[in-house]
Amino acid sequence: MAMVEYEGKQFDVDEDGFLLNFEQWCPEWVDFVKESEGIKEITEEHQKVIDFLQDYYKKNGIAPMVRILSKVTGFKLKHIYELFPSGPGKGACKMAGLPKPTGCV
Amino acid sequence: MAFISSGYNPDKPMENRITDIGPRDFNEFLPPVIKKNFGKWAYHEILEPGVLMHKAESGDEVYTVRCGGCRLMSTEHIREITEIADKHCDGYLRFTTRNNIEFMVDSKDKIEPLKEDLLSRKGPGGDYKFPIGGTGACITNIVHTQGWIHCHTPATDASGTVKATMDELFEEFTNMRLPAILRISMACCLNMCGAVHCSDLAILGIHRKPPMIDHEYIDNLCEIPLAVASCPVAAIRPSKAEIVAESGEKKTVKTVAIKNERCMFCGNCYTMCPSLPLADQEGDGIALMVGGKISNRISAPKFSKVVVAFIPNEPPRWPTMTKTIRKIVDAYAKNANKYERLGDWAERIGWEKFFEVCDIPFTEHVIDDFRDPAYYTWRQSTNFKWTHGVEDFANIKK
Repeated sequence: MAMVEYEGKQFDVDEDGFLLNFEQWCPEWVDFVKESEGIKEITEEHQKVIDFLQDYYKKNGIAPMVRILSKVTGFKLKHIYELFPSGPGKGACKMAGLPKPTGCV
Repeated sequence: MAFISSGYNPDKPMENRITDIGPRDFNEFLPPVIKKNFGKWAYHEILEPGVLMHKAESGDEVYTVRCGGCRLMSTEHIREITEIADKHCDGYLRFTTRNNIEFMVDSKDKIEPLKEDLLSRKGPGGDYKFPIGGTGACITNIVHTQGWIHCHTPATDASGTVKATMDELFEEFTNMRLPAILRISMACCLNMCGAVHCSDLAILGIHRKPPMIDHEYIDNLCEIPLAVASCPVAAIRPSKAEIVAESGEKKTVKTVAIKNERCMFCGNCYTMCPSLPLADQEGDGIALMVGGKISNRISAPKFSKVVVAFIPNEPPRWPTMTKTIRKIVDAYAKNANKYERLGDWAERIGWEKFFEVCDIPFTEHVIDDFRDPAYYTWRQSTNFKWTHGVEDFANIKK
């Protein structure tokens, strides 16, 4: 388990760079991760995806299925990949502070 | 070693990025004789174990020498394979769907030097690097999985069990003396990656203990509803627990509760949730399944059925497992009719007879108890033979 520091904040992360504790999420986290996920600047669209993922996770305790993410945000999967080059799981969920996707991935 | 860039620019990750180009077209790698006669083959013969001849309508012939591969290979080994292909087959070769290696030559006189070369190559421990065989009514390569080499959910090892089994059955790889082909597959947990559910004989890693719950971290690392929904027998439910954290702090956390008497140790929940590990040295082991097939030849495809509920893990050679497999293979080879796959044979003689002939004890674990379809696996008939299997069953009922 590693600890990273960014702009005075401390984050516990795993070897894939996912937050170990959703509670530790803060806007600085997004700023810290974006570079490693190939994102130059956080646009309104990025924020919309992150906000929805967090709302859904808080409400349901799981990350949404890709179709739900697309349907609610109105972004097609192609567009989500344009926003988050590593995809909705490794990119968007990581930035939103959600747990690492599991299963046969 | 110091970092050497491939030309990828981490500051501009999407620049010059090539995607969605798919695999190379197989036509690029066809040997000339295959390319020329593609779709125009007349017939084929198995000349000897491991050597095939295909005759084309044009009269062309292609000879294929099949040799065993260990599947888990170093680049050094692959280079040696390409070196052989360069020397004998103009640089062409292929791998089969059971991970054997096939070298193809276009005339008969090229076979002997190729075979001689292949059999002369041995590893430092004396093992054949390229044993020739795997054709006809034999035991060809074992389709297997990752095991302790790379996976995080295994209940046994893949490469180790496979090596032990193939050593035991090596004679059957280099001969064609069985009633029909006997496919052996191996999966290290009941995710069953590969072909264990449809093989004549299957080696399957199983657990026998319920998961441990890491209450402190489960809510952080897992999406709890997924863990709940992953359970085929609904043994998991969400709950709250009061715990003392590693730091000594007392707190109430969201977690799950597992009904141990419902759990059958499938490990699905661990796949979904890292805080529910269940691997255990004494608990884990191997179940053997038999009688599956995929082909439609004579009888329809079948699933394999569990006949041995548990064999302990005995690395590095798994002697109990290999001995049991040997017993089943010998009983099948001795008793089945020509062309009869193991499942066809067991169904013809009756499963109670199968247990008797193979000298395997019948246990209650083998009786299906999973949901409604279990009923269809019980005997709704007075048709049966008095055998050890039936006596074992009577003893279970007592």
